[in-house]
Amino acid sequence: MTATEQVQATVMPGGPTHKRAKRPAVGPAVYIVKKLLALALTLFVASLAVFFSRFLVPGDPARFLLRGRSPKPEALEEITRQFGLDKPAWEQYLNWLGGILHGDWGRSLTYRQDVSDVLLGRLPTTLQLVALAAVFITILGLFAGIVASLNKGFGDRFILITLTAAGAVPPFVAAIALVALFSVGLGWFPSFGSGDGGLDRIWHLTLPALALGITYIAMVARVTRSSMNEQLLREHVEVATSRGLTRGSVVARHVLRNALGPILTVSGVLVAGLLVSSAIIERTFGLSGIGQLLVQSIDRLDFAVVQAIVMVVVAAFVVVNTVVDLVQPLIDPRIAAGTESR
Amino acid sequence: MTLAIQLPQTGLRRYGSLLSPMAWGALAVAAAVVLLSLFAPVLAPYDPDYVDLNNVLAGPSGQHLLGTDALGRDLLSRLMHGGRTSLLGPTIVVIGSTVLGLLLGLVAGWSEGWLGKVLGRVFDLLFAFPALLMAMLAIALFGKGLFAPILAMTIAYVPYVARLAQSLVVAERSRPYVQAYRVLGFRTPWVVLGRVLPNLIPTVGAQSTLNFGYVLADLAALSFIGLGVQPPTSDWGAMIEESRGALLGGYILPAFWPALVVVMVVVAVNVIGEELSDRIGGKLS
Amino acid sequence: MSQLLQIENFTLGFPGRPPLLDSVSLQVDDGEAVALVGESGSGKSLTTRAALGLFPGGSEFSGTVSVQGLDTLTAGKQRLMELRRGHASMIFQDPRAGINPVRTVGDFLTETLVRFDGLTRSEATERAVKQLEQVGLRRAKELMDQHPHQLSGGMLQRVMIAAALLNSPDLLLCDEPTTALDVTTQAGIVRLLREEQQSRGMGMLFITHDLNLAASLCERVYVLRRGEVVEHGPTRTVFLTPQQDYTRQLVEATPVIEVGGLGAPVAAGSPLLQVSGLTKTYQLPRGDVITALDDAGFSLPEGGSLGVVGESGSGKSTLARLVVALETATSGELTLRGVPRPHRPLRASERKVLAKEVQIVFQDPYLSLDPRIPVGNAVADVFRLHQKQGRKEAKDSARDLLARVGIGPERFDARPRALSGGQRQRVALAKALAARPRLLVLDEATSALDVSVQAQVLDLVEELRDQFGLTILFVTHDLAVVSRICSELIVMHQGRIVEQGPTARILEDPGDDYTRNLIASRPRPLWDAEPVTA
Repeated sequence: MTATEQVQATVMPGGPTHKRAKRPAVGPAVYIVKKLLALALTLFVASLAVFFSRFLVPGDPARFLLRGRSPKPEALEEITRQFGLDKPAWEQYLNWLGGILHGDWGRSLTYRQDVSDVLLGRLPTTLQLVALAAVFITILGLFAGIVASLNKGFGDRFILITLTAAGAVPPFVAAIALVALFSVGLGWFPSFGSGDGGLDRIWHLTLPALALGITYIAMVARVTRSSMNEQLLREHVEVATSRGLTRGSVVARHVLRNALGPILTVSGVLVAGLLVSSAIIERTFGLSGIGQLLVQSIDRLDFAVVQAIVMVVVAAFVVVNTVVDLVQPLIDPRIAAGTESR
Repeated sequence: MTLAIQLPQTGLRRYGSLLSPMAWGALAVAAAVVLLSLFAPVLAPYDPDYVDLNNVLAGPSGQHLLGTDALGRDLLSRLMHGGRTSLLGPTIVVIGSTVLGLLLGLVAGWSEGWLGKVLGRVFDLLFAFPALLMAMLAIALFGKGLFAPILAMTIAYVPYVARLAQSLVVAERSRPYVQAYRVLGFRTPWVVLGRVLPNLIPTVGAQSTLNFGYVLADLAALSFIGLGVQPPTSDWGAMIEESRGALLGGYILPAFWPALVVVMVVVAVNVIGEELSDRIGGKLS
Repeated sequence: MSQLLQIENFTLGFPGRPPLLDSVSLQVDDGEAVALVGESGSGKSLTTRAALGLFPGGSEFSGTVSVQGLDTLTAGKQRLMELRRGHASMIFQDPRAGINPVRTVGDFLTETLVRFDGLTRSEATERAVKQLEQVGLRRAKELMDQHPHQLSGGMLQRVMIAAALLNSPDLLLCDEPTTALDVTTQAGIVRLLREEQQSRGMGMLFITHDLNLAASLCERVYVLRRGEVVEHGPTRTVFLTPQQDYTRQLVEATPVIEVGGLGAPVAAGSPLLQVSGLTKTYQLPRGDVITALDDAGFSLPEGGSLGVVGESGSGKSTLARLVVALETATSGELTLRGVPRPHRPLRASERKVLAKEVQIVFQDPYLSLDPRIPVGNAVADVFRLHQKQGRKEAKDSARDLLARVGIGPERFDARPRALSGGQRQRVALAKALAARPRLLVLDEATSALDVSVQAQVLDLVEELRDQFGLTILFVTHDLAVVSRICSELIVMHQGRIVEQGPTARILEDPGDDYTRNLIASRPRPLWDAEPVTA
């Protein structure tokens, strides 16, 4: 019995465990609806937090929103009208939320454009960057983790040390190092701009995606390794071996399959982390995505844009997490049955 | 009991045995960086802000051990002084988030009713705001500098500690030894603070040690994109940013040293944190 | 070929450490059932796994382990896999851990057939369903699509057995296959194994820590101790006339139901604990209600000893936890020395008063002591709280009390992890007694211990009972343990008390079907059993 199982066993003292099996299984529809409700609730509370964060700043909200710009009376009047600052806080919030749901994300002071237009123009670059990074992370991270887990001794040790080092390289340091090596030094990849689409785009995005992904490659590899190691110790793996299955079958069917849960669990953190870190990477490589936009908007005190981007990133995290939650029962049927919770 | 679980137990992992050589190395690196930064005003060979335009982008020499930057400032001195800022932020964040997180985690773990559930939901929600994002939002609200991101990251790291503490408390609470304390008539505050809390500290300490590395990297990143510390104050992230021009011109050293120090410190902290959690894992099994 | 499994001078260990197995030799012939008996750490699992060529990583070994002439120590991978697929199968201790929880039962059964025996999926399914039916599982077709968590432990162990029998092995290795199961479930599994082994003429190597179980199933027995075979021979001979000291101790320590040994029930003193209509229900998150304890009623006189026997889910632990106020009853009355228990969680001050009335010792010796606190201090803390003693005085008291439970002063500053399981339970007893309770609840307090250690701890409990004038409430799954300690007995089943009365009367003349079943389910030596079938 492992420690976690003991914990689970003791959570329900005296509860006759054998009776649980007799409970009617809850249909998958209930599970899905529950998760979707939780998603809506989380997004709602997150939107409250994002919106009302502005109220933490003491003083006149109009002057806060106009920081760094001439506080002319007409400008103050316009900002008051745009944000509805003369109305009660909850009404401001409802207008803002209603706007977001209708695709009206407010106006950018810097660009004199709708925030949604500014965002949509920048989104593709960021998505391409994040997607390419995700590909690197999935392939390299899983590969390194699996190899480390299956090769005890020197191989494991070597990969583990490499991962510890790679995981400690912050994206911006990785960016600088890659530029120094592959752009300035070897001249293989460009150090600036996002290229013209197609292969040129991928060529331009390779270094940024690697820089963005390196810590997460290490993270995924570590999770894969430890999750597989945990499974390798399980008795069902020994049983499978004792029945004459080949090593490959045991690993694929009984180790990797069972280890997928924890690996999937980190993907929510991963997507949110990639989106946030893209702010630094896009700035370093001169890519005009939403990360770069976020930094510029903070710099230029364009709060409506900052608010919108924060909301997008938070929503991405919550949505990815919900998708993961919905996929988990397919991997481990005990989760839907409620006997196993992660 | 499975064979595989039995075997490690036969290995007599000594309870108080010494750290692994790697952890000793990490500890030495961390201690050296901390001491050099702490005593920078006494130990640094030059004024970190002294500009010497006759001696720009010099390589390492007897006079400037690590060379100079584009303004002829001594890189070693700048590193040492920059370390004061770079290390201060993570220290505050880690102490703040650990204390707050432990407190909230204990409460959430011990209360069986709605309070634990509500706190758990709050932790979940906070997880949706990555620390770096929270820091940037705070900068947008309160302006550039160290104050806003430190405050924001302290809050952002609370759930990492609190969730861990909560799950540990829940596990401990149902263990027979804690139940025995209840049956023996010991008061709850005595049991929780005097007996359960000390049992959490090694595990939570390991997590907080790892957090230190993440916070250091994130704060340096903020300085690197110009949202963190503002000139003339400087930290390692800002030093790398200042050196980008020189880097594209082929002068690697001014960016290399601060990058190396950041990576070394984060590696050291990670190695120590993992060693801690490994030993705890070994002890529990 | 008569020698099916031949182990000779098999030594296994890790470099630089004393060997885990030292020159083990044993032999199983075709169609023969052989038991390998030993306590924890004796190396019985290692020995059995070696027959399949499963060795712990990094270990070194020598000697021969040959199955049908194939030496598993030197055989190549391919030969070993063929051996495992076709000639030797193994049944593991915990079916819940041994069957991959995320795959279906059908997948578990058919995976070797489809992958290596070239059967189509439907052929494999058909064969698996037949096998499931043969091991006594109904609705086998439906089971194939279910996941392990939907089956009970006993059903799962039958699935495991079915999987082991699929390829008609010549050698069946059983590693404590019933230890994780209840007694009544165990009886069914043992009967099934015996039948299959006899009808198929398989050779069987059966590992167990339970001598009774070995005697009920196997003609020959090997006794293993710390990696060495200390004695072997026909089960009956070893059991009845053991030659070695260790075997003799083991046989004596093995609990058997002894009716004669008990004193007459204590003449009814004033009732210390009175329970009536006690019910505990749990509300599950999904809205289901579980009745863990249903309308329990009994009375325990001062100085008496009451055993509560039941299988998992019988509500016996819930009862124990209610008595020590770790749970609050849903309804019903519980009166301890005339003081009725309130129907709400106790206040701190009430708890402190109650602590001097009743204490509990839990099952798991590894979790029942605070890992960070030296055992002496743990006991001294209780003296300081309850006897109002100063730091020094409390330490002296703790030292005295620990000495009385057999923990010497040299262990005073030891942490729990430095102690053995038996020593930890002694410390747990001392901690409970330091509060000077009248009633001591033992919740499976000896179940996790090896039989020889269990016997010692039971001796200690009897001794302490007399010294401290304790009243005992002993909760256990083991009838034999109860028959030794308790003069009164309660039998519980699915939350209800099905029978209560003097232990001797219930054991000799059980009045309830379930009690009869429980008693009949205890393993009986082959030479005692009525002829099974001609």
